[in-house]
Amino acid sequence: MPSQRTAPVYLNLFRIRFPAGAITSIAHRLSGVFLFLSLPFLIHLLDLSLQGPAGFEQAIEWLQCGWIRAGSVVIAWSLMHHLLAGIRFLLIDIEAGVTLPTARTSAWFVNITAALLTLAWVGWIL
Amino acid sequence: MHGLHTWILQRFSAIYLGVFLVYFVTQLLLGQQWTAPAWHAWITHPVMRIASVGFILALLAHAWVGMRDIVLDYITHLGLRLVIFTLIGLVLGGCGLWALHVLMVAAG
Repeated sequence: MPSQRTAPVYLNLFRIRFPAGAITSIAHRLSGVFLFLSLPFLIHLLDLSLQGPAGFEQAIEWLQCGWIRAGSVVIAWSLMHHLLAGIRFLLIDIEAGVTLPTARTSAWFVNITAALLTLAWVGWIL
Repeated sequence: MHGLHTWILQRFSAIYLGVFLVYFVTQLLLGQQWTAPAWHAWITHPVMRIASVGFILALLAHAWVGMRDIVLDYITHLGLRLVIFTLIGLVLGGCGLWALHVLMVAAG
C-alpha cells in the first residue's frame, strides 16, 4: 500500500496550540500505554503477595523499594488520568458536556484533578 | 472486527473496568490493615474471583482495542504494524494467562 500524503504535515510543536482538551486526549493515550506496560509488574506483585505470609512480606518489601515507589507514581497518575478522562469521553459520547465551554472546563478539571490525586499519592507514600 | 464493534467493546469494557477499579483501589487503600490471610481471603472469595476473571477479560479486550488504535494512528508501514500487533498480542495473551494462573493457584 503506497502511503501518499496529501494533507499538510506541520510538526513544529512550538507552533501547534495545545488546548486543555488536546492535553486530556494525548495524556489519555499515553497513560493507557503506561498502564499496558505496567501489567507484568502488577501481575508479578499479585503473584508474590498470594504466596503465603512469606510472599506477602516480600511483596510489601518490594513495594517499599525506591524504584518501585517512583514507578507507582507513574502508575497512580496513569490510572487517575485514564479513569477520569475515560469518564469524560463516555459522557461526551452520550452527548453530555459537548459544547465547547463545558468540554474545556471538564478537560481542565480532568487534567488538574488527576495531577492533584497523583500529588496526594506522593504524600501518601512519603 | 469492525469499527463499530470495537467502539462498543471499548466503552462497555471501560465501564466494567472503572467500576471494578474504584471498588478495588478504595478497598486496598482504605478497607483495612491488610495481613497475608485477609488479603488471600479477599482475593480468593468466590464473588471476587468471578469479578476478577471478568476484569481480566475486560482488560484484555480494552487494552487490545486501545493499543491497536494507537498503532493504526501512528504506524503506517504495514509490515511494522504486523510486528507490533503480534508483540502486543503476545504480551496481552501472556499477561492474561499468567493472571488467570495466579488466581487459580491462589484459590487452590
